[in-house]
Amino acid sequence: MSLLHAEYLKVTRRKLFPTMLALLGFLMAFVGVLFYVILPALPESQGGGGLVPQRPGAFIFGAQQVAGQAWWFAVILATAVLGGEMASTVWATSLTRDSRKVGHIGSRFLVFTVASWLAFLAGTAVWAAITWVFAEGSGSPELSEWLGLLWKFILISGAWTSVGLGAVAMTRSIALAMGIALGVSFVDSIVAPFVDLYEQISLTAASNGIFDVGGDGPFSSLIPGGDMSTTQAISVLAGWAAVGLVLTWWGLQRRDA
Amino acid sequence: MTAATAIRVRGLSKTYKKTEALRGLDFDIPAGQITGFLGPNGAGKTTTFRALMGLTRPEGGDIEVMGLRVPGELNSITKRVGCIIEEPGLIKAHSGRVNLRIAADTLGFGHDRIDELLEFVGLTQDAGRRADEYSKGMRQRLALAAAMLGDPDLLLLDEPLDGLDPAGQHAFRARLRALADEGKTVVVSSHDLTDIEALADYVVVIDLGRLVSQGPLEELLGSGGTHVVVDEGQRSRDALSKAGFESRFEAGGVVVDSVDGSAIVKALAAHGIYPSEVRPSRNSLESVFLGITGEGDV
Repeated sequence: MSLLHAEYLKVTRRKLFPTMLALLGFLMAFVGVLFYVILPALPESQGGGGLVPQRPGAFIFGAQQVAGQAWWFAVILATAVLGGEMASTVWATSLTRDSRKVGHIGSRFLVFTVASWLAFLAGTAVWAAITWVFAEGSGSPELSEWLGLLWKFILISGAWTSVGLGAVAMTRSIALAMGIALGVSFVDSIVAPFVDLYEQISLTAASNGIFDVGGDGPFSSLIPGGDMSTTQAISVLAGWAAVGLVLTWWGLQRRDA
Repeated sequence: MTAATAIRVRGLSKTYKKTEALRGLDFDIPAGQITGFLGPNGAGKTTTFRALMGLTRPEGGDIEVMGLRVPGELNSITKRVGCIIEEPGLIKAHSGRVNLRIAADTLGFGHDRIDELLEFVGLTQDAGRRADEYSKGMRQRLALAAAMLGDPDLLLLDEPLDGLDPAGQHAFRARLRALADEGKTVVVSSHDLTDIEALADYVVVIDLGRLVSQGPLEELLGSGGTHVVVDEGQRSRDALSKAGFESRFEAGGVVVDSVDGSAIVKALAAHGIYPSEVRPSRNSLESVFLGITGEGDV
């Protein structure tokens, strides 16, 4: 419990967390206004008149966008905090010891995952408010759908947090780790739609697939993971989280920075 | 390794890409004293400290800390060693007290010593202030308190006095001396010879990754002879020369290459010269260092 409390204290007082939270909120508000207000007002020749999400589906569509686009929140938080600690000998001495290593990794994984999860929820709340005010249609998702977001966000933020931790533990460099995570996301999202075999294990595809966006939805054909079952998406996300944690443990075994 | 040896290093070597940071470094550090770990910038001081803490994997050599081998017994060593190497790792948005709580939780120690340590480093009154409001000296003292949370037998401090004002240096040195008086082993690296001369009991000098010299400070400084203040400098030197003493002009007087003050006074008095002051003239650490390394930039 003490390690969890220490990580909680570290994260809550960093400027990084509220800054990124504000940025995520702003982005979701901007995208919402763009979708509901600006694009419908534009003539077709200037990009207007496209598909605009309508209530009640628009709420979950936005939540999926948050999870699919805000992975950077989890990655930046994990790499910046752990990377900063690796640069300090006091923390590095503790992190690279065998004793309590599982506790150190586990507490960081849990706290960063929950912090990212809260950010996803905050981003979704901003989107929902914009949708409530501006979207056409009526009604809202069932309570079970809202509750479903809670565990879906946890899995997605956990997987990306784990990737961030693994990258920074292996490289011992915040910039390099962020670059690797960015590269993974970029390559993953580019390759997944075109290589069926890879799509089955793609982190981006699983982040979409867990929202069950397949079927005849208007955007399913554009989204990697549209055909992925929820069960498979859960397995893929859990697999990436496990791989990231193993890489973190392995990276912290190395004493040479 | 004897019981009085806190650290024993033999043949330590480390290469970063094409740079040889350590080249077969050997040294011993005695227990229960303050040791100055000296060397010019780039001599390998920080690399050595990192190797002692198991944060750098050397290519060769043997390290024993408190009788335990590195890296094989690092888990046991970590509990007995406190260190400040490079960045102390304080969380500036938190108060000094909360920083110590976080450090205790992270390092696996209890909170029971926090008040005592805040008092020891003189931060009790400022414990509730954010660390980013602290002066550099206060942050260094807070880092020292964090390093001492586990009541370590050995403290490794990398350039702890760097950037502190004279009052801050004095306060920090006093606390390190108090720790040594309690029987703790304190190792302080520095490129500032004045710091070490004012603090250390024992000195290890390295350069280019090799040992240059080691020994008790007093032994290393030795005796520089006797400093004599006289009105008639040249006539005094002639008189001393006739009595068989070598001498030179230095710092407003004459320095004689002998520690036999009474013989010097007798030789001068025989020529009707009476010095107004006679005192031992000690070498400075800087002059010793320059003598053994030939370095100008220390």
